[in-house]
Amino acid sequence: MVTGGRGDPELLDRLVGDSLGWLDGARASFRLPPNVTTDADPNLTLKPLGELAELTQLIAAAHPRADIRERAAGLFDFAWRETGEGELFAELVRGEPHATYPVEIYGAFAQAGRRHAGVEELVRATTRLRSWRVARDDHTRTLGVLNAERRIGLAPHTDFDAELAQTGLGRLPEPWALDRKAAYGVTHDVFHLTEWGRARRRLSPEHAGYLRLWLPAWLENWLAEQLWDLVGELLAVTACLPAAPYDPVAWQRLADAQAADGSVAEIGDPTRPDDPAEAFTACYHSTLVTAFAGTLARVASDEAAAGVWDGAGAMLTGCIPCESETAP
Amino acid sequence: MIADAASGVALALRGEGDPYALSRFLRQGDALASAAIRVLGADALAPYALDHRAGPGGEDETVVREALAAFPPKPDASDVSVWSYRGLVEASHAFLPGGANQWPPTPQAGSAWVATDPWPKLAHRVSQLAALALPGLASSLADELTARTDDLARGFVRAVRRRDWLQAAGLGRWLARLPEVPPTLGLDSGLGFVRQMCGGDARVTLHVVAAQRFYGRGW
Amino acid sequence: MVTDRTARIETEALAAEVDGLVEPTEPDGVFRDTRECGAGLLLLGLLLISPPTPRPKTDTR
Repeated sequence: MVTGGRGDPELLDRLVGDSLGWLDGARASFRLPPNVTTDADPNLTLKPLGELAELTQLIAAAHPRADIRERAAGLFDFAWRETGEGELFAELVRGEPHATYPVEIYGAFAQAGRRHAGVEELVRATTRLRSWRVARDDHTRTLGVLNAERRIGLAPHTDFDAELAQTGLGRLPEPWALDRKAAYGVTHDVFHLTEWGRARRRLSPEHAGYLRLWLPAWLENWLAEQLWDLVGELLAVTACLPAAPYDPVAWQRLADAQAADGSVAEIGDPTRPDDPAEAFTACYHSTLVTAFAGTLARVASDEAAAGVWDGAGAMLTGCIPCESETAP
Repeated sequence: MIADAASGVALALRGEGDPYALSRFLRQGDALASAAIRVLGADALAPYALDHRAGPGGEDETVVREALAAFPPKPDASDVSVWSYRGLVEASHAFLPGGANQWPPTPQAGSAWVATDPWPKLAHRVSQLAALALPGLASSLADELTARTDDLARGFVRAVRRRDWLQAAGLGRWLARLPEVPPTLGLDSGLGFVRQMCGGDARVTLHVVAAQRFYGRGW
Repeated sequence: MVTDRTARIETEALAAEVDGLVEPTEPDGVFRDTRECGAGLLLLGLLLISPPTPRPKTDTR
């Protein structure tokens, strides 16, 4: 059922390419409205654009196919331009100096070298406060903030490993006790820990072993629920494992959930709401996740073909293009 | 009737109530009682696996023999049906007095599926054979299943997530018998969780109690 | 209660019932998730970048 090693590059590339095609065509919906820093809903404006930046940058850096890299890079550049080449973050931080999200989203650009001197000066002032170090109520979110600090080059406000130990990954909870929210938590623990698949070796053998055991069961469950964004995230996490397994059935199901226009719905079958804004909200996240997961799986598949891993899951040869060790 | 008998078995396994006698719950000459014994399979005799075997010449032998005669596996019977029948025959040999010639021979039951089933299917099948998770029974099957312990553990996760408590309990019981259950599964608390969540279902409770009594897992 | 054990049809029905109980089909999964009381997530998948800090309704500039 689950094959170790090579995936199906053709299917993966089609999934990623079609997803990027839809995202490219949806640029208008990603555009930020004039009131983005005041009374627009950030969940419908900044969050989609931040996700677009985070995931297209990874695809542009890691995908083996030049045409796909180029398309993703184009979307990443578009996102950077939408922020006024970073100017937006200065305005956001001045408006909400204690919010973490401007720092988190700026981090996605900063790690790719898109930086804004004024923003960095500002966040050095806001993140050195004792108040910035007050514990947040969600440890997974704290990992995201820590990752942004690392990307920007700020001092970490707390210890990453200690924080990780308290998350849904770090605690190794009973796998049958995972509800939906906890599942999103585990996937994001892995993304923050591994820099969204760029530094997969940060995953400890203990955590990798836990995930390798239980991911197939979780995937089964959320495939049955047709919760496609979570399916995509779980497949992305699977691709972060050493000598990543490839589940052809799960990938085929996700491919079947992709509509002809390349979009993947958050949940359920490929029918779309008539209202374009609603259709965008219902699809952009799953579509991005699909492109991201497909890219990581493609990288893992290439590694398997190249014999990068030995039988015990240890890396034999050098690095893949996106693998970097920039741990603090 | 099945639920009552299952409750009686669970009670006996916990060492509570009067000394167990199958024929007290399921009387001879009653087709429904035979059906219930066939459904419970080896579990109908599980309390005798503890220490106290049934007394010789008891009515228990008669009701079991009636059940075996009334519901033999048909020629086209599934592997699960044959295994379950075989479990009752094996338990009769092991736990009831009287010469082996009193009992039908143990039928051959196929087990190719153990190696080939995808894990969700395997897990569902194994849960249907929960009554075979008794000391000394179906030892060849237990050996073969050991190779798929991780897959059965995944099945347990899937079943709990689906709130399929009967499947979860049956799998948990088998996992309790297997030697290398992944520690991160949390089998002991999982069995306790299923027992509390099932709302008193007699067959679910029976599987959890059996896991505890025979293999020391769960609570 | 089955009293006439020679009644062939009833026996067959009972045998079918036994088969069904020995080998029950898998029930449909019941997926019920933890409800968010209070700080509910309004959109699915918000955790990719979790919900930002709520913004003031009044213009504070």
